[in-house]
Amino acid sequence: MNNTLHAALAAGTLLLPTVLVGGWVTSAKANIESPTGEVRPVAVAAAADVGYCTPELKKVLRRVLQSCGLSGAAGGRGCQPLEAKSIMGTGPVAGAKPTKKSGVVSGDDFNALFMPLAARAGILQFDKDSSELDVADTALLDRLFADQKGASYFFVVARSSPEGGVEHNRALSQARGEAALTHLRTTFNDPDLDKEVGLLWLGEEFAQLDEEFCKWERSSSDGTCQPTELNRSAFVAWIDCTL
Amino acid sequence: MSPRPFTILFIIAALAGAWFTGFATADFASHLDRQVHDIHCAWAPGLVDDDASASSGCKVTMMSPYSSVLRTLVWGGIPIALPGLATFAFLVFRGLDLFLNRREGDRGAARFLVVASLVPVLTSAVMGYLSIVELGTTCKLCVGTYVSSAACLAFALGAWRSSMAPTMAEDIAIGAGAEPEASGGGFGGLFVGFATLGGFVAVPSLVYLILAPDFSNFIGACGSLPAPEDKFGVMIALDENSGVPNAIEVFDPLCPSCKAFEERLEASGLDSQLHRSAVLFPLDQTCNWNVGETLHPGACTISEAILCAEGNADAVIAWAFVNQEAIMAATKADPTAAAAMVSAQFPQVAACLGTPATKIKLTRSLKWAVANHLPVLTPQLYVEGVKLCDEDTDLGMDWALSRLIANPKAKAEATP
Repeated sequence: MNNTLHAALAAGTLLLPTVLVGGWVTSAKANIESPTGEVRPVAVAAAADVGYCTPELKKVLRRVLQSCGLSGAAGGRGCQPLEAKSIMGTGPVAGAKPTKKSGVVSGDDFNALFMPLAARAGILQFDKDSSELDVADTALLDRLFADQKGASYFFVVARSSPEGGVEHNRALSQARGEAALTHLRTTFNDPDLDKEVGLLWLGEEFAQLDEEFCKWERSSSDGTCQPTELNRSAFVAWIDCTL
Repeated sequence: MSPRPFTILFIIAALAGAWFTGFATADFASHLDRQVHDIHCAWAPGLVDDDASASSGCKVTMMSPYSSVLRTLVWGGIPIALPGLATFAFLVFRGLDLFLNRREGDRGAARFLVVASLVPVLTSAVMGYLSIVELGTTCKLCVGTYVSSAACLAFALGAWRSSMAPTMAEDIAIGAGAEPEASGGGFGGLFVGFATLGGFVAVPSLVYLILAPDFSNFIGACGSLPAPEDKFGVMIALDENSGVPNAIEVFDPLCPSCKAFEERLEASGLDSQLHRSAVLFPLDQTCNWNVGETLHPGACTISEAILCAEGNADAVIAWAFVNQEAIMAATKADPTAAAAMVSAQFPQVAACLGTPATKIKLTRSLKWAVANHLPVLTPQLYVEGVKLCDEDTDLGMDWALSRLIANPKAKAEATP
């Protein structure tokens, strides 16, 4: 046996994998200092902020939550018709026509504000002169509230039809809004509820719903949709905007 | 027949084995930079294009707990392919030595080829079993290695048998009562041979260990949870361990990476050193607004089932992991399929799925992720609120997690 050849073969076949391994590890080490691969940014979980959340809408949303929110500086009481008018009218509203009077917005302009929420909203319809939620109302309310997803704010906007006195209808719409809110409180026990909800009651005085809203999901299943029935209601919707 | 052709074929088979294990080692070592890399997955790596359709099997195999050893000693461990490469290099050496020194007739040396070839063959048998039975997949580089090992043994046997044929001189000598030549085949020869093989394995392994990067600076440096409290009770306890660090695992029950992570965690034994709770974060647009498109159809429904299965959540998780592909395929075709499948398996959750209370609970789980500014990916593991780096959830998990468990707050406290 040629011992020199034997040793040379041993050295060569040992050296080759050793050098290769050293090279691979050293190369990886160098890549740590100066990465060669494409570094893709990773998204971070955040509350939803969808396309309709224009700066103008956010401005109004902020005003409503500050003045009509349940835990805001206003003492957590919601907003009644005159307050709602003035809050909405203190600046331009996204998609709304210019206001006729300084500081006041029209009912149509107010309703136009909520048009982008159609897919996330529902109308709880009450019986005449009643603020009691029936089974269909609570089912719709539960389903819509459970479908929060990334939304941060929940609006309850209650109304009444024009039958009866203004004061009575104002109180009736307030009772309807509060009925919805009480149901949410007792059903879901959400400690953040007061931070999330903006409550407005409009009575018969402001922003009555027209037939356009008949296309929206409603708790009434009788198939009819008259303006008087439509306004014996509380409109509820999650709003996918951050402030 | 002369043993020479068998020796040549043996050398070619050993070179093939070195080729396959070399690519496997290089693929593994490339991940030492903590980045994501493509890996070779072909019958002739480096010579033909990689087979993308089979790459998942190659990836699963490489990321499995069986792809390396000494995982808590060095980040990723020493790839099992590295001693394989060294062993085939040793076989090449022994084959060339016989061939170039014209020792094919040395029966002891030929016999040692057979014995040495048993090392990769037995290793291949064990790895093949683990691959098929435990991982349920194979990789082309692995199969190439197994075939090369078997070929080495077959050609070594051929060379040995051929060397046993008596030469004319032996015919005469046998008549005179002499024994055939058998140099290097006794216990002494075996000892020297295997000691040399040990040296072939030890030297490149030591080089790997010495040159491997030090990742100590990354431990605990990948963030922490600003709001880890479970104020809505959305976390699912995954074990009953006590007296160990608390850990929060963010996962999606239909995420293959989460399943693989769970398997690695169990295989490492580190799961028993943690008290783990899960936060569900399904990558399914049906409920998770953070994902642009649904990656795992049905994950929201299965997550709801886990939340519904109080006390039996681990069984639902285990079932979901096993049936991930079937659930996703069925839900892609029929959005209600996930609910039907999980209800059939766990009838007690059927009435709870899709209810407002369950949907809200799942939303709160997702809101927990929002409150903690979590990246939109799974799995994620936080030990005492400190994140195990994403780069350390696969190959480097044993190394990094064992250090994070030992001292979870060290880096987080040091960071202002």
